[in-house]
Amino acid sequence: MLALSKVDASINNIPILRDISFTVGPAETVALVGRNGAGKTTLLRTIMGFTTCHGEMRFEGADLRAVDPHRRPGLGIGYAPEDRRLFSRFTITQNILLPAQVAKLGETETASRLERVYHVLPELRDLGPRPAGSVSGGQGKMVALGRALMLSSRLLLLDEPFQGLAPVLAQRYAEALGRLREIDPTLAIIITESNPELLRSFASRTITVERGQIDSDASNERTT
Amino acid sequence: MTMNIAALALLDGLAYASLLFLVAVGLTLIFGVLGILNVAHGSLYAIGAYATATLGQWLVAQGFNPWLTFPGMIVAAVAVGVLLGGLIERLLLQRIYSKDPVLQLLVTFAVFMILENLQRMIWGVQPYFMSTPLTVLGNVRLLGINYTAYQVLFLPAAALVVLFTLRYFLRHTNMGAQILAVTEDREAATAIGINASRVYFMTFVIGACFAALGGALATPTTSLVTGMGANMIVLSFAVAATAGLGQIEGAAISALIIGIARSFAVYLSPEIEVIMPYLIMVLVLLVRPNGLFGKETVRKI
Repeated sequence: MLALSKVDASINNIPILRDISFTVGPAETVALVGRNGAGKTTLLRTIMGFTTCHGEMRFEGADLRAVDPHRRPGLGIGYAPEDRRLFSRFTITQNILLPAQVAKLGETETASRLERVYHVLPELRDLGPRPAGSVSGGQGKMVALGRALMLSSRLLLLDEPFQGLAPVLAQRYAEALGRLREIDPTLAIIITESNPELLRSFASRTITVERGQIDSDASNERTT
Repeated sequence: MTMNIAALALLDGLAYASLLFLVAVGLTLIFGVLGILNVAHGSLYAIGAYATATLGQWLVAQGFNPWLTFPGMIVAAVAVGVLLGGLIERLLLQRIYSKDPVLQLLVTFAVFMILENLQRMIWGVQPYFMSTPLTVLGNVRLLGINYTAYQVLFLPAAALVVLFTLRYFLRHTNMGAQILAVTEDREAATAIGINASRVYFMTFVIGACFAALGGALATPTTSLVTGMGANMIVLSFAVAATAGLGQIEGAAISALIIGIARSFAVYLSPEIEVIMPYLIMVLVLLVRPNGLFGKETVRKI
């Protein structure tokens, strides 16, 4: 579904990624692991169109590079950035609904997508009316996931979702991803993580990024 | 100072503050969202005024109902804001958003110089008048003083309408929400499908329309001369900086402070009238470097 071939990416003329090639199929959960600074975040931002890149990127057969960055979420790609980046002037609910509002989705469609978000992340129901600036870092990650889920019907990109999460919240986050897998088996998910062990039970495949290049790409043996 | 003069100064100040606010709010909106200090804002003010005078004089000369000069002001302002503002954004600003702020300032300053001369080419250097809206509204008696209704009622009402419409637009409409989101985080906004380029364009055009509207509404009470744009950009910058750049409600309050202080200076000590706005700005910025309502880190509108 997503296929990168010989992709180089740079930010402000500084090359970050070199010769990245991999494909992700529907229903696949891919762990993108690597040290800090290896280029994991840049890889996700490249898929979203926020870097200067060369090479070939195809999404469901179409040339992704020809699609303006703001039109990519409309293809069914959701992105939850590492540092949450909620809109502090809005409430939690408004943050989650904003993508649907921007995409001008109908009322019933919006409501059913919101139900899907609440099914995956029940705690967001209660957080709803609070201003986005007031939630804790961990709750913010949940909200960012909810916001990304609004549009991600095909592909979900999660940047270091477990980073800095208290163990209880990390557990809840993992459970939420489990529920998402259950209700949406065809969704492709790419998760970045610096600790490869954390995702081994969850992801079916691990791609290791090292200094801007792919080091290894192997499917995980199910140990759990 | 008698009560009469105090009341007169207050009304003068109110009328003046209303015009100041209209121009300053556009400047502060554009800065708040785009991060660009648009020096050409002064030209949009001046050209809005000239366009209004031309259209108004034509309407009157053709024998149309003089009340038509009111919608005429709005038509002229929107036309100038959309056409000229739209062209400036599309042709120039769009290419320099990621560049150094000094370069951005230089580019808008260059646009200002070009428009200033264009203005001279089109309208010449002789003063223009178009006081029809002032005369048709007549006078009212306020605080024991006969004053033109246009200045003490219409201008403040127009400023309030702009203030509350803008607030409503930003907080309760789809486009407003997109503007707020892009202001806070352009990349995160793009990642949820917001077209940031379009948001920048719309914001600039709206801001430009406010500048032109300020000029249009100033036409009945001001004689239009070359250099009025330069004067206004410096003044409205003083208002925006006193409030804190990007602060919309703050701009209304600092426009009032500066407008009223200036008109009191006219009556009490005319020699400091010209420097009054800057005196206030300097005093405020000495105590609060981010302006009266400015915040330390986050850019907000």
